[in-house]
Amino acid sequence: MDKLETMWDVCLRKNIKRRSFLKSCAALTSIMGLNMDMLSKVVAAAEKNPLPVVIWLHGHECTGCDESFLRSATPLTSDLVLNSIALEYSHALSAAAGEPFEEHLHQTMQQYAGKYILAVEGAVATAENGIYCMTGGKPFVSVLKEVAKNAAVIIEYGACATSGGIQAAKPNPTGSVSVREIVGNSKPIVKVPGCPPIPEVMTGVVMHYALFGKLPPLDNEGRPKQFYGNRIHDTCYRRPFFDTGMFAENFDDAGSKAGWCLYKLGCRGPVTYNSCGNLRWWNGLSYPIQSGHGCIGCSNDHFWDEDPFYKRLPEYGPILGDVDKIGAAAVGLTTAGVALHGAMSVVQKKKRQAAEEKSDGKKVE
Amino acid sequence: MKRVVVDPITRIEGHLRVEVKVDEATGKVEDALSSGTAWRGLELIMNDRDPRDGWAYIQRICGVCTTAHALGCLRAVEDALGITIPKNANYIRNIMAGVQSVQDHVIHFYHLHALDWVSPVEALKADPVATAAMQNTVLSAYKVNVTGPESLDTEAYPKEFPKATPEYYQKIQKKVKDIVESGQLGIFAAQWWDHPDFQILPPEVHLLGIAHYLEMLDKQREIVTSHVVFGGKNPHPHYIVGGMPCSISMDDMNAPVNTERLAIVDRSINTTINLMNDFYVPDVLAIGKMYVDKGYVDGGGMAKERVLGFGDYPDEPYTGTTNGDFHKNLLYRCNGIVEDFGKGLDAAKFYDFKAEDLSDPEVLNEGVEHSWYEYPGAEGKDLHPWDGVTKAKYTGPKEGTKTDWKTLDEDGKYSWLKTPKWRGKMAEVGPLSRYIIIYTKIKKGLITDPTWVEKMIMDQIEAVSKVLNLAPEVWMPTMVGRTATRALEAQVHAYVAKYYFNKLIKNIKAGDTKVADTTKWDPKTWPKECKGVGLYEAPRGALSHWVVIKDGKIANYQAIVPTTWNACPRDNKGDHGAYEKAMMDTKVKIPDKPLEILKVVRSFDPCMACSTHLYNAEGKKIKIVTTDPYLRTNQE
Repeated sequence: MDKLETMWDVCLRKNIKRRSFLKSCAALTSIMGLNMDMLSKVVAAAEKNPLPVVIWLHGHECTGCDESFLRSATPLTSDLVLNSIALEYSHALSAAAGEPFEEHLHQTMQQYAGKYILAVEGAVATAENGIYCMTGGKPFVSVLKEVAKNAAVIIEYGACATSGGIQAAKPNPTGSVSVREIVGNSKPIVKVPGCPPIPEVMTGVVMHYALFGKLPPLDNEGRPKQFYGNRIHDTCYRRPFFDTGMFAENFDDAGSKAGWCLYKLGCRGPVTYNSCGNLRWWNGLSYPIQSGHGCIGCSNDHFWDEDPFYKRLPEYGPILGDVDKIGAAAVGLTTAGVALHGAMSVVQKKKRQAAEEKSDGKKVE
Repeated sequence: MKRVVVDPITRIEGHLRVEVKVDEATGKVEDALSSGTAWRGLELIMNDRDPRDGWAYIQRICGVCTTAHALGCLRAVEDALGITIPKNANYIRNIMAGVQSVQDHVIHFYHLHALDWVSPVEALKADPVATAAMQNTVLSAYKVNVTGPESLDTEAYPKEFPKATPEYYQKIQKKVKDIVESGQLGIFAAQWWDHPDFQILPPEVHLLGIAHYLEMLDKQREIVTSHVVFGGKNPHPHYIVGGMPCSISMDDMNAPVNTERLAIVDRSINTTINLMNDFYVPDVLAIGKMYVDKGYVDGGGMAKERVLGFGDYPDEPYTGTTNGDFHKNLLYRCNGIVEDFGKGLDAAKFYDFKAEDLSDPEVLNEGVEHSWYEYPGAEGKDLHPWDGVTKAKYTGPKEGTKTDWKTLDEDGKYSWLKTPKWRGKMAEVGPLSRYIIIYTKIKKGLITDPTWVEKMIMDQIEAVSKVLNLAPEVWMPTMVGRTATRALEAQVHAYVAKYYFNKLIKNIKAGDTKVADTTKWDPKTWPKECKGVGLYEAPRGALSHWVVIKDGKIANYQAIVPTTWNACPRDNKGDHGAYEKAMMDTKVKIPDKPLEILKVVRSFDPCMACSTHLYNAEGKKIKIVTTDPYLRTNQE
């Protein structure tokens, strides 16, 4: 993304006269709800370099992503929103509403054409020409297309924007789809999945831009590598218990109390790319697995249709190979000091497998 | 007469549009319509899922009142399966519910509602020295001192205290000035800052309000820290049917809950209590007092006529909702309906709401006269949610096209919300409704043994009535009253969290660490078919979830949520719902800048995703759900 042009730069580039520039400033002053005695300040500001402008749209969503964004501790939301970006349009935080707010949206889109960041929270309802999600008297799908046209970059915030989210789960009554499906790949799209994404991941994407003047490095799906580069399984503090075959078998059993691996209670950590294991929530405080519940894979595309959530993984989603063997092999490679512990784990594991075969009548692969 | 449209309504959850007809000479709102403009269809998505997963799906109705719908679902599923959760799970869930209500109320007042009351432009005119002095006045005159239940005294001194130094306000003012002068107003752009309502409060209150907007923006996350400890994350923490996933053990260093984790929760609850006592309640009361003194006691609408509640906070685990046990031991017994509170306490009438009312098709039902649905074969009738037939009938607007509205049709269909009714009549729900119900029940002698929660509520109402110098039936059913009771209730919720934290510690001390009852975890232990209801007093009001489980799967799912009660379109007699009534009970100074309308609508804390997820677009019949085995069984 290029450096943002000032409003005066745009006028110079487009060969617009100073008088017209001042006229635009006057219009802007009035649109911002300011008194005309503020005009000189607005003119001065328009000649300066502005903050990165963010337009945040809402489709079919639950506002959990806004709420997550607000929970960020580093950066604190106040610092980010007031110092690092200009959040010019947000249904959650903007003071304005109705017609003047929509006018402000159009003014912002014009003034920063090709320069603004478009953040989208929510899926796009496409059934029946989009009438299941109307905003400002128009289908959200048409608003999205219009605003996306001149965006420099688009951020898909949360599972709804990245893959349609919960409303896209079977039978998807509103024909909800991801933002990418509507706007195509004509411009850079940053995919920030999760239901919701971790607060610091949401703010981190914008913070990266504010600090370094460019988008964070992305993987081939468009996800920032620094937040989605590893599986939760790879960074999980309970991973050693998986490797040694020590599992919680039921909620609130001895294994649950001891904080053993939740793989057998349905944990999706082995197939889920997210920062829960390393960043965790509330700056390292906890994440679902640490609090005793398996990961439900909320940063995976269409995870809502990979239920039931308490069935262990190999029956769902990509095959990992024989995970139990992976665990046993790892034990075999450990040094003599831990070999004894490992061997005991294998015994425990075999006992449990036998019990499982008895109760289920089949061996789980 | 001028017709004014506001769409989108911002600083709410979801998609809402209002249209009002204003008499330009008098400022009177002659007619108003409220329209939910989006529909997501989550009930259909619930069908055929594992009921143990239900909470995770339906929690995604709303991320603002995250947890509310998860708890509603867990209660419904556990009611259906006959599961009694362990004591610790009841305490932990109530801690999470309590702090969620506080956090939700805080976000509402400071971040969704405040910019209707205070303006950054006015804040620039404030004197920082006078603002610091005003902060001290606010603390000395507008605190509501309450005594919580006896509890562990773990805090040496209040860590969160409002700053009252001139330099602090200078710095805040400079930041606001920099933003205004930068020309990039960001979130402050395009509001009607020149509206006369921003002159009601002195500039110093505006500066104080903006300062606390920022402080609370950064503090609110600490209120829900316990969600991250017990549920692993927020928004949308994790639960399990039968209790909680967070095992407790003092013998294991990797245990989800041990002493250190409990200390984190305790610290967060203490912070929460500080924030209520020294920020939220005094701020709201100081602002409310100035409004009331200038004669702003309008915007009550439906609150004066009919309010409804279900009751909440089971003190100890209960065996079910449909069997009546839920209602036997509640801390907050706001179950019932109060009519005509606006006419004074003597004229007010009280009707009880009991478990058996849930299954009576005459008590709760919904109409679609003005909703984008039809009832084939039952035109003009109101149907019980269990009998709910929902067939989409999108008719578009009165003027404009189906995909480009000018004005909606108040004589026809105009919303994706249905119109829920209690005994054929609409009602308002929410903190204000709950306060009116508790106050009426106690004053009329229907509650003779108030719990500590109910006593605290009565003390608060008395204290505020003294400050405002008005009787409760005058100040409560107003726009200011709706906002003030929400703050008062947040204070109660904070102490509720502390209360259950104490119970949790006491119970663990007694040797009980159980957090889940998994005896009915295996679907093989379930009946072939069963049904349940979960009631919950969500931040925005009375919530009910209804589930039918058949062959181990969800066969039908329904929810009647608070914002549907409040934001619904008019009924078949042309009577209005709570939003519409409140708008019609509000004077508008400048029709083109209807700030008062936005303020009164936002005083309800709209949550549209909650209210519009209910309906079946494909016109499929929604199956009958009943919890009463003597009435009928589940069928189409």
